[in-house]
Amino acid sequence: MADDDQSGIPKPKRKKEDAELDMTAMIDVTFLLLAFFVVVSKMDPQKTIDLPVASVTFNVPEKNCVVMVATADSSTETFKVYKGSSMNEADLIPLQDPDLLEEEVGAYVEDEFTRNPTKEAVLIKGEGDVRTGLIEMIKRGVNLSELAKTRKIHVAVEEK
Amino acid sequence: MSESGDPKKFEFRDDSDGPDNDSRRAAIEYDASRQSSDSSSDISYKNMGWKGVSDDEPEEALEKSEPIPEEELDMTPMIDVTFLLLIFFMVTASFTLQQSFEQPPAKSDEPSTNVAETEEVEDDYIEVLIDQNNIYYITTRDVEEEEAPSQTEMRTRVLDAKNSSNATRLIITAHVDSLHRNLVAVWDTGLLAGLQMEIKTTEEDY
Repeated sequence: MADDDQSGIPKPKRKKEDAELDMTAMIDVTFLLLAFFVVVSKMDPQKTIDLPVASVTFNVPEKNCVVMVATADSSTETFKVYKGSSMNEADLIPLQDPDLLEEEVGAYVEDEFTRNPTKEAVLIKGEGDVRTGLIEMIKRGVNLSELAKTRKIHVAVEEK
Repeated sequence: MSESGDPKKFEFRDDSDGPDNDSRRAAIEYDASRQSSDSSSDISYKNMGWKGVSDDEPEEALEKSEPIPEEELDMTPMIDVTFLLLIFFMVTASFTLQQSFEQPPAKSDEPSTNVAETEEVEDDYIEVLIDQNNIYYITTRDVEEEEAPSQTEMRTRVLDAKNSSNATRLIITAHVDSLHRNLVAVWDTGLLAGLQMEIKTTEEDY
C-alpha cells in the first residue's frame, strides 16, 4: 500500500480533485434533457394526427379555439370524431346517425363558447384520410351553435 | 446468546432470525442500549457484531453547520433553474400554435345534389371538382372538366388558369367521399393564387 502511494505521487492528488468535482452541472444538464424528452414525448400523441399538408398557413393559438378532432383509419375505413383535442374515448361522438352527430357537435360547441366566451374560433383537426363529407358534417354541426355563427372556423393543416 | 430471561438479548437474537421489522427492532434495541448505563450490556452487543453508534456524532454535525457566508453563495443553480423554466415555457408556448386555414361555414344542411347550379355564376371563375375517386376536374374559361390526375398537375393548371384569365373566384366542389387532404390541397392552391373560394359538397358520382 505504502509503495503504491509513493510510486504514483500524482495519483492521490488526482483523487482529491475528483472528490472536489461539482456534480451540480451534470445533474442540471440531465434534468434539462429529461425535461426536453418529457416535452417531446408529450407532443407525440398530437403528431399522430395526420394533418393534410399545405404551403400557405396561418398560426392559430389552440387555446383560443374550440377543438374538434376527426381521425381516420385508412386500412379499416373507420372514422372517429372527438370533442376537444385530448382524443379520449369518452369524448367520442357516435357516427351512426349524421343528424345526431351534427346535433352533438353543435351542443358541444355552444357549451364551450358559453363557458369560455373569449374563445375566438372553432378549430377542426381532420386527418387527411377523413372524407370531405364528414368534415362538412362537423361544419354543419358547428353552424347549429348560435354562438359559433359570429366566430370563425379553422381547419388545421401542417406546413409543408 | 442463550435464551435467558433478559428481554434485550432475546430480542436481538430474534432479530437475526427473521427479516421482518428489522429496522424497528434495531431501533428498539438501540434505544434500550442508550437507556441502560450498564456497560456489560454494551459489551454483549459488541460481541454480536453491533458496532454501536456514538451518541455524540450527530450533535457534533449539527454544531458544525454554520450559516454560509454570503460571498460564497453560488448563483449557478438559480440561473440554471431559471433557464430551464424559460426553455420549458418557450417550448410549450410555441407548441400551442396550430397552423390552419380559415374556412367559411358550411352552406346548407343538405349537400347539394345538383351541380348545374354553378351555371348562374357569370363572372370569371375556376371550378375544381374532386370526384369520389379523388380525381380533380378543372373547369376554366377555356376548358371544360379537364382531368388532372395528380395534385401537382391540379396546382399548375389552376395557377396557369388564374394567370391566363382574370378569374377572381375558385369554386371547389368535392364529393362527400373524397379525401379531406385533397380538398385542403385545392384550398391551398386557391390561397396561393389569391382567389376567393367557396366549398360545395356533392353526393353525385361522376
